[in-house]
Amino acid sequence: MDSELILKDVYFSYDNQWCLEGIDFELKKGEVVGMIGPNGSGKSTLLKIMDGLLKIQKGEILLLDKPISSYRRGEIARQIAMVPQESTFRFPFSVFEVVLMGRFPHLGLFPFEGKEDLEIAHQSMRLTGTLDLARRSIHELSGGEKQRVLIARALTQRAQIILLDEPTSFLDIRHKVEIFELISSLTLTQGLSVIIVSHDISLAAQYCHSMLLLNKGSVYIIGEPSEVITADTISTVYQCPVLVDKNPISKTPRVTVLSRRGEGKKEMV
Amino acid sequence: MKITQLRSYPLTKVYVRLSFFILLFSWPVLSHATVFHDSLGRDVMLCSVPRRIISLAPSITEIIYFLGLGDRLVGVTKFSYFPGEAQKKPKVGVYTDINVEKVITLNPDLAIATADGNKREDVEMLEEVGIPVYVINPRSINQILDTIEKLGEICGVPDRAKRLVSALRERVARVVKAATKKGRPLVLLVIHVKPLMSINRNTIHHDIIRSAGGRNMTGDQPITYPRLSMEEVIKKAPDVIIISSMKRGGEFKKARKEWFRWHTIPAVRKGNVYLIDSDLIDRSGPRIVRGLEEMARLIHPEIGWDERQ
Amino acid sequence: MRGSEDQEITPLKVIYTGFILSGILIIISLISLSLGPAKISLKDVLTWVTGYKSVDQTAWMILFKIRLPRILLAGLVGFTLSIGGVVFQALLRNPLAEPFILGVSSGAAIGAIIGIVFGLGFNLGVPLLSFMGALFTILLVMGISSRHGGLESSTLLLTGVIVNAFFTAVIMFFIATTSGSRLHSMLFWLYGDLSQSRYVQLSLSLPIVLIVSGILYAFSRHLNLIVGGEESALQMGVEVELLKWISFLGISLITGMVTSFSGIIGFVGLIVPHIMRMFLGSDHRLLIPASALGGAVFLISADTLARIILSPSELPVGVITAFLGAPFFIYLLKQRGSQWTQS
Repeated sequence: MDSELILKDVYFSYDNQWCLEGIDFELKKGEVVGMIGPNGSGKSTLLKIMDGLLKIQKGEILLLDKPISSYRRGEIARQIAMVPQESTFRFPFSVFEVVLMGRFPHLGLFPFEGKEDLEIAHQSMRLTGTLDLARRSIHELSGGEKQRVLIARALTQRAQIILLDEPTSFLDIRHKVEIFELISSLTLTQGLSVIIVSHDISLAAQYCHSMLLLNKGSVYIIGEPSEVITADTISTVYQCPVLVDKNPISKTPRVTVLSRRGEGKKEMV
Repeated sequence: MKITQLRSYPLTKVYVRLSFFILLFSWPVLSHATVFHDSLGRDVMLCSVPRRIISLAPSITEIIYFLGLGDRLVGVTKFSYFPGEAQKKPKVGVYTDINVEKVITLNPDLAIATADGNKREDVEMLEEVGIPVYVINPRSINQILDTIEKLGEICGVPDRAKRLVSALRERVARVVKAATKKGRPLVLLVIHVKPLMSINRNTIHHDIIRSAGGRNMTGDQPITYPRLSMEEVIKKAPDVIIISSMKRGGEFKKARKEWFRWHTIPAVRKGNVYLIDSDLIDRSGPRIVRGLEEMARLIHPEIGWDERQ
Repeated sequence: MRGSEDQEITPLKVIYTGFILSGILIIISLISLSLGPAKISLKDVLTWVTGYKSVDQTAWMILFKIRLPRILLAGLVGFTLSIGGVVFQALLRNPLAEPFILGVSSGAAIGAIIGIVFGLGFNLGVPLLSFMGALFTILLVMGISSRHGGLESSTLLLTGVIVNAFFTAVIMFFIATTSGSRLHSMLFWLYGDLSQSRYVQLSLSLPIVLIVSGILYAFSRHLNLIVGGEESALQMGVEVELLKWISFLGISLITGMVTSFSGIIGFVGLIVPHIMRMFLGSDHRLLIPASALGGAVFLISADTLARIILSPSELPVGVITAFLGAPFFIYLLKQRGSQWTQS
């Protein structure tokens, strides 16, 4: 019973073509899982399915051993939080207000937050290092700061499972690392279970316990990073020649994209 | 049946006594209260001869002064500048938007409105605050004259009104008789220059043109104030063009010059492009007769009109 | 715990703000009651309102039958349009949204114009037809835009704009082909005219407006979340589609209702929410009541000015709202930059 989320033979389609086929997956407690795959392989869709936002046509999804369809939306939100790739706030809210919004699934009929809610929000901001941004407007923040705030919001939801949809896509290398570091430490200290969708394969490999390579809607391979990330798997799935070696410091797989010019212009992915 | 004979019918006795008392107390009211039917069929009850009158349109102001009742007028609308004395009267707004509050402060016992111009809402509002509103709706020269007589009757001067209006009727008859003998030139009445607009048969202007011995070029257009293209005018080839303008002098000269570009039009060729004071034909009041006379003079200049104004 | 104190919205804050704005509302209303072509002093107004002494017949007539219903209607319309503006801006995630954007305005106008053409009265006939026009239009727009039972914001906006444009052309046709007092009635209605206020109308619409507003207020937190993205809101448990249906129908209902009495008064629903947001923040638990009350104050003030500036003539109230609103809004915009859009 130490699986938070179980997917059994899941099929999903938007119209008449299968978008996801035969997905079997288990998210274990305390795990950080990296989900990789080319554009259009169904990663975002799979995340939404796991969050119960989309209804599957075939198969089973169990959240804490109960079918996800048996939960009400609010109940799911108390268990699973999603950090989107990007969030546009049409009107200015302060950082604190945004983080506090994470308490939504917990507030009952009375529409105002109590002392406990405020404390939880503070704590989340402390954990994500965003406390000094509290009064700033969400519009003023840089990409990295905003992502940390969104993670803080997810923490405020007090969800045990956090799904992150390409959280580092728009960030520079320093902030990419910051986010992965943050996720990693939070998973440890807060006992979370996390799924990160990312295109930063090599970076994800350094922080994930296991990885899932998605290809055209089905699981190509799933396992430890060193199993999943090989020149063979990556170049087949991404249809692009790569070189995979070992990161000398972390000993995790490192992917280098080979340029068409044949020489292998080193580009770390 | 003599009253004494009623003693033997007790119920009837009660009825008679009751009616007597009712009659006694309501006599003062009954003797002066009259119900008039206005041109929209509305019942307008006046408890006495109106002494504080509000005119809700410039034409109505002219009618009141014409009937010699100018001193009874306590409020007029903005463009009631004729006759000159009317300009000194308190203003209650424009005829398209009456300030009901102002009307109330003037404490009138009658307001007179026109269906062609005053907003229905304003009339309804005035009624709701207890001010009787008499609505006129003259649609032809004759109806205007009838209206003047009727207003005279309402205001307690029926004989004077009759006298004044028959003089007007005489003038009208004279014009019609003379003008309609000599054939009917095609007339274009321009009520607006840019865009070019005229009038169809649903207007008093049409009646004036007809009575003045002309033919309205735009008479059978479906829209009351149709917009015209120059093409249309060239095609229809009017014999007389009359521009109704609210401003005199400069503007008219310019407009007249504009027309002279189109020399295929008979009116232009013959130099029959004239100006008429719009007040004379727009206002449904006593001056409409002058408007008729002026129009006839422009349409049929060949007739020797003498100055029997 | 430093840095984020007194940022959260407490019931106390809401009540406090509501109190102050209500106070301003009452003061403005009393002042407005004393202004007009008939000279009635503020003292007289106060004695009449408190029932301390009775005033003379004429003054009573003017206060009770002319000015008071007008002020009440102005307050109601300002209230309704502003609340509609706030909610629409949040739901459509668009700072340019206001309650007429989905076609309610032109629909109501067509209804009213048809009523005027057929010579119906302004007590019942014209408002009724106007309301039916508004309702028909909103159902049309929502029907066209609904896909699989969901309402997509951009489709809604586009459909609303197109329907508005089409109906406006129809309205222009009517204007071009009508004359006389009917034409003037039409034009006045289109410009916005608060002078046709009746107690019957007010007593009918006030409870409905309050109920719908109450329902919308209950969704304040939900609206906060939607501002951050429909998907995020959905994820956290907001029933976005249901909320959209309820809100669009509810707001269009009350907007259509008050518009059928007052004609089309633009600008209020657009700028009052923005002004309130600039001073009070974006949290709808505070923003909704503040905008509603602020809108009432704004429109009562604008209408009072419209009444007295060119007395005894009156300016259309829409002219004043635009004249006042536009420069002030531009000034505020320049001060605060474009906080409203994110690249």
